[in-house]
Amino acid sequence: MKKLQIILLFIIAILTSCSKDALFIEDPFVVAFQETSGKLLDIDTQKDIKLIYSETAYEQSIVKIRITTENVLYGRDFITIPAAEGNELSVPININEIENKFQIVELNNSFTDVMKITFSISSIEQDNANIQGNVSHELSDSAYLGGVFYPTIGGPNEPNQVYVDLSSNKETVVRRDIWDLGFYGGEEFRVTINGSLYMAVSALTNTDINSVNSLSVAALQPLVAVGTFDPENKVYVDGPNGNILETAISEISEDDFKNPVYLLNLGVEIGTAQPNTGSVAIAGESRGWKKIRILRDGNGYILQYADLDATTYNEISISKDADFNFSFFSFKTNKIVNVEPPKLQWDISFTVFTNILAQAGSYGFSDFSLHNRKGGVTSYSLVDNTISYKNFTAINVNETLFQESQIVIGSSWRNVFDGTANSNIYYVLKDANNNYFKIRFLDLTNENGERGFPRFEYTLL
Amino acid sequence: MFLNKKIIIALLLLSFSTYCQEREKNSARITSLDEVVVTGQLRPQSIKNSIFEVKVITRKDIERRAGNNLADVLNQLLNIDIFQNASNGKSDINVLGLDGKYFKILLDNIPIINEEGFGNYTDLTLINLEDVERIELVQGAMGVQYGANSLSGVLNIITRKKSNNSWEIQTFFQEETVGKEYEFFNQGRHIQSISVGHQITAKNYINLSYNRNDFRGFLGDFNGKHYDNEDQLRGHNWLPKQQNFGKLLLSHKGENFSAFYKFDYLRENIFSYDSIVRSNFIPATQTSNPSSFDQVFNNQRFVHHLNFTGNFGKVLYNISASYQKQEKKRESYTYYIRKDAKENIEKNLFLSKEVWFSRGTFNNLINTNKLSLQAGYEFTDEFGFGSPFGVNIATGATGVSNSLRNFDIFTSAEIDFNDNFSIKPGVRMSFTNLFDTRFYYSLSARELLKNDWEVRFILGIGTRTPNYDELFTYFVDVNHDLRGNENLTAESGLSTFFHLKKYTNLSDHFSMKNKLTFSYINVNDRIELVTINQTPLQLQYNNIDTFSSKGIALENEFFYKNVQFNLGASYFNIKRILDYDTGKTSNNQANFQLNSNFSYEIPVIKTSVTAYYKYIGKTNRFIQVDGFFENQKINPYSWFDLTTSKKFLKNKIAITFGVRNLFDVTDINTNAVSGGAHSGTNSTVTLGYGRSYFLKLAYNINI
Repeated sequence: MKKLQIILLFIIAILTSCSKDALFIEDPFVVAFQETSGKLLDIDTQKDIKLIYSETAYEQSIVKIRITTENVLYGRDFITIPAAEGNELSVPININEIENKFQIVELNNSFTDVMKITFSISSIEQDNANIQGNVSHELSDSAYLGGVFYPTIGGPNEPNQVYVDLSSNKETVVRRDIWDLGFYGGEEFRVTINGSLYMAVSALTNTDINSVNSLSVAALQPLVAVGTFDPENKVYVDGPNGNILETAISEISEDDFKNPVYLLNLGVEIGTAQPNTGSVAIAGESRGWKKIRILRDGNGYILQYADLDATTYNEISISKDADFNFSFFSFKTNKIVNVEPPKLQWDISFTVFTNILAQAGSYGFSDFSLHNRKGGVTSYSLVDNTISYKNFTAINVNETLFQESQIVIGSSWRNVFDGTANSNIYYVLKDANNNYFKIRFLDLTNENGERGFPRFEYTLL
Repeated sequence: MFLNKKIIIALLLLSFSTYCQEREKNSARITSLDEVVVTGQLRPQSIKNSIFEVKVITRKDIERRAGNNLADVLNQLLNIDIFQNASNGKSDINVLGLDGKYFKILLDNIPIINEEGFGNYTDLTLINLEDVERIELVQGAMGVQYGANSLSGVLNIITRKKSNNSWEIQTFFQEETVGKEYEFFNQGRHIQSISVGHQITAKNYINLSYNRNDFRGFLGDFNGKHYDNEDQLRGHNWLPKQQNFGKLLLSHKGENFSAFYKFDYLRENIFSYDSIVRSNFIPATQTSNPSSFDQVFNNQRFVHHLNFTGNFGKVLYNISASYQKQEKKRESYTYYIRKDAKENIEKNLFLSKEVWFSRGTFNNLINTNKLSLQAGYEFTDEFGFGSPFGVNIATGATGVSNSLRNFDIFTSAEIDFNDNFSIKPGVRMSFTNLFDTRFYYSLSARELLKNDWEVRFILGIGTRTPNYDELFTYFVDVNHDLRGNENLTAESGLSTFFHLKKYTNLSDHFSMKNKLTFSYINVNDRIELVTINQTPLQLQYNNIDTFSSKGIALENEFFYKNVQFNLGASYFNIKRILDYDTGKTSNNQANFQLNSNFSYEIPVIKTSVTAYYKYIGKTNRFIQVDGFFENQKINPYSWFDLTTSKKFLKNKIAITFGVRNLFDVTDINTNAVSGGAHSGTNSTVTLGYGRSYFLKLAYNINI
C-alpha cells in the first residue's frame, strides 16, 4: 500500500515538472560592418567605422580586420585607431555589448578621388562564429553600395513625409501638414493637392471667387471628401499614379475665364491619438475648407484664395522652379515653403496617401511609398520570384518591366493585419542617373510592434 | 417574525391571490428512481414531487465520464450543445438554440461571477467539478426563482457538505491526450487533484481541496512556442491554459439550523503565442533574431459564500450572502524565440468586477395542508470596469466603470388540489438602476396520473438584460465604428414546457422511464449588432430581432439488472426575424439530435463500461460578420465516448480509462450562404480536437 502511494506521488511529481524543446537552428555569432561603403572624400580628418554584432556578445574576444589599399599608404596618408600590425588591426569584442568601432584618421589632408581603402574581416576569434554579411567596408569615391534604411516616418501618427536619396543614403524629412498646394515646375501648368492630409477638390461653375459661399457649395461639400465609399469620388483627388496630367485641378488655362473657382476640402490634421500597439492614428480633426482660383502669370501661377464665406480674397504669385517637381504653398503661413529636395536628389518617398480603390473610390492609406516619377525614376516589383532577393544581380534586370506609375511600391510591401513587411516581394528601381537598386522591406513596425517605424534594405546593382 | 409581515405586505401589493383547499400529507411512493432535488423548490423534495421537471446528473455519471469541468460532462445532453472557442479557450453553452446569455449556472444555488455576466455566459471550463454531489438541470423559464437571464433554464451544481467518514482523502491524477498529441510535459492535458474532508463532530465538517488542470493546448497544424519560421504556423490551434482551483468549506448541519461557508479560488493563465514571427533580419550580419508578440492572460476569481438554513417556528428560511471578485490581467511582451527572452513587458489590468449578492427565501409563510407559500428577495450589486475583449477598447475608454444594482422580491406558492394535482404560480418584481422595473411571472402545474404517468407544464415570462458589451463597448477608429448602446431595453421572453413522463416496472429487474417534452420559447426585442450607417460604416447594438424556438424531445431510459440504456431524440425549429428600419430578413433553423448511453456494471470484478453517443444533425444558423448576417449550415456530426472503470483494494483505488470523441471530430465544414456584403467568410467551425484518450487514477482513503 505504502509503495503504491510513493509511486503515485512520484508520478505526480514527474508530471508537474516542466521541460521544453526547440524547433530551430541558431545563427552563428557574426561581426560585420554596419555599412559596406563610404565616401573617402567625405572624411574630415577622422571617421568612425562601425562594426555590429549579430547579437549581444556572450564572451570576450577579438575580431581581426585586414586592410587593403589602392594608391594610398598606411602610416603616410592614414592610420587607424587601434593601430594596425602589418596589414591587420584587432578590435575587441566586449562581452554584453552589441557593437564596436574603430577609427580611420587622415594624415596630411592627403585623400584624393583615386584612392581606395578596403577593410575586410579576416577572423572572429570566438566559438560558433562565422564571417558573413557585410564582410568588408570600402572607402572610395564611387556611389553608395547600399545598406539598411529607417525612414523617419515618426511613429503611429505618421506625421512626416520622407524623401530618400538611395545613392547618397540620405533622407529629407518634413511634416506633412506644412504645405497645401504644389505648383508644378515642369512644362505643364498643373497644381497638386496634399493627398497626405486627405484633401479633395472640386471645380465650381463659377469664375467669380467672391460670389462663392458656404451656402452655394453646401450640397457639394459632403461629396468632396476622401473615404466616402463612393466610386465616383475619384474625380476630387489627384490620380494616384502620379501622372501630372491627372491632377484633380485641371490644367491652368492661359485664358482666365476658363479657370473656375475650386472648392477645396483641406482634409484632416495629423492625428494625435495614441493608438493600440500595431495600429495607426493618422487622421485628426477636419482642417476646414477654402475656395481657390488659379491663373497663369507668364511662366508662373497666380493663386487666389479665401475662406468660404469671405467676400474678398488673397492673391499670391508663384513662379515655377525647374529644379523641383513643385513649388509648395501653405495657407497657414501664406508663403512658399520648402518640402521636396531638388527633383534629381530623391528616389522614393514615404507618406500617408490618398489612393483609389475600384469599388470604394478614394481611400486613405498609411505607410505608402512612392517613387519619384516626375524626377525620372521608374521601378517594378518582383513577387514570389524564382530568383531570390539575395541572388538578384544587375544581369537579372529586365528593362521592359520598369513602370512609370509612382505607386509600384505603394502599400504592396506591408501587411497591416500581421504587422509585418511582406517577405515574398522586392523591387527594382532605376534612378535618373541610371543607377539600379534592388529594394526589400524588412519591417513595418519597430521591435515593440509600434507602427510608423519601417525598415528596408537596398543594394546598388 | 418581522420578515413575515413585510413579505405578506409585499404579497398583497402584488395582488397575489390564492385558492386554498385542505392540504394533505404528500404520500408519493419512493422508488429507486427518486432523487432529492433543490433547484427552484420550496424545500428539498423528490424529483417526482417536484413541479418543475428536473434532470439530475449524479456524481457517478460525472465520474464515469472522468469529467473535470462542466464542459466535459454536458455535451452529452439532448438540446444542449457546448461550443468551444479555440482562440480564447472558453466554452459556451447553447440550449435550444439560445446561448449562455439566456441560461444561468449556479453553484450551490447562487450565480457565479464571470467576465461577461453574473451567472450567465459562464465559461464552462471555469466550473470545476471537484466535490460535486450532483448537478440539477431545469429546462424552462426560471425567472421568478432566479431572476433575469434564465429564460432557457438553470443548472445548479450542488457540492458535498458532509461525510459519513471521519476522514476522507481523495486524490487523483488524470492524463489525457489532446487529439493525437501527448507528452509527459509539453502536450496533452494533465489534471491533479486532492481533497481532504474531516467530519469534526457529527454536525461539523471541514473540507479543503485543490485541483490543477494543465491543458497544454492543441497544436494541430501549428508548431508551438519554440518555432521561428515566418510561415504563420507558430503557436497553437487551441490555446494552452493552466487552471488552479482551491476550495475551503466549513459546514454545520443541525436539526433546526445549518450553515456553511465556502471559499472558492481560481487562478488561470492562458498563453497566446502569436503565429506571426518577425525575423528581425539584420542584412549586415545576414542573421536573424526572430521575435513574436506574445500574451499571457491571467484570470483570478474569488467567491465567498455564506449560507444559513433553518426554521423560525414553521417558517423555513434559506439565506445566502456572497461576495465575489474577478480580475483579468494581460501581460504582453516581445518574445525572442531563440534566446527564450522576454522584453518590453507590459502588464495591465483590463477587467475588474465585483459582486455583492444575497438571496433569501422564506417558506411556509402560509402553510396549510393544501398551500405552501414562499417569498424571497434577491439583491445584486455588480460593479467594475473593462471588457472581456480588453484590447479592443479605445485607449480612453478602458477606465470606464459601471455598476448594475438589482433588488428583486419574489413569491411563489405550491397549491395541492389533491394528492396528484398541484400548481405553482409565481411572480417577481425587479428594481434596478439601469432599466425600468421588470416583472417575471410563472405558472407551473403537475399532475400524477394513474399507472405512473406524470404530466408537467411550466410557463414563464421573463427578460434578458443587456450585458456590458452591448451597453458600453466603444471601438472607434478611422475605418471602424462599433459602439454599445446605453439606450437598449431588456429583451422580453416567454417560455413554455410540457413534459409527459411514464415509469414502468416490467419486472423486478426491468424498468423503464419515458419522457416526451414539448417546448416553445419566444424572445422579443433581441439585441443584435447591426449596421446603422453604411458610409461610413457604423455598427451598434440594437433591439431588433425576434426569436422563437419550438421543440419536441423524446427520452427513454431502460434499466435491466446492471444495465442501463438511454435513447433519446429531439427536433427543434428556430425562427428569427431581423427587423431593420430598411427591411426584414428572416431565417429558419432546424436541428435534429439523437443521443444514446449504454452502461454496464459487473459487480464481481468491480468494473463498469459506459458508452455515450450523440448525433447532431445538420444545423442551420445565423452568424454575424461585421454587422451582416449569414446563413451558415453546419454539416452533421456525432460525439462518441467510451469509458471503462475498475475498482481495486476495497474500492480504494479506481482506474478509469476512456476514449473521447471516438469519431475524431475536429473542424466541421459549413457552407456560408451570403447574407450581406461579406460572403463566404467562414468555411469551418471548430468543434473538437479529435479523438483523445484519458487515464485516471484515483486513490481514496476513508478513516
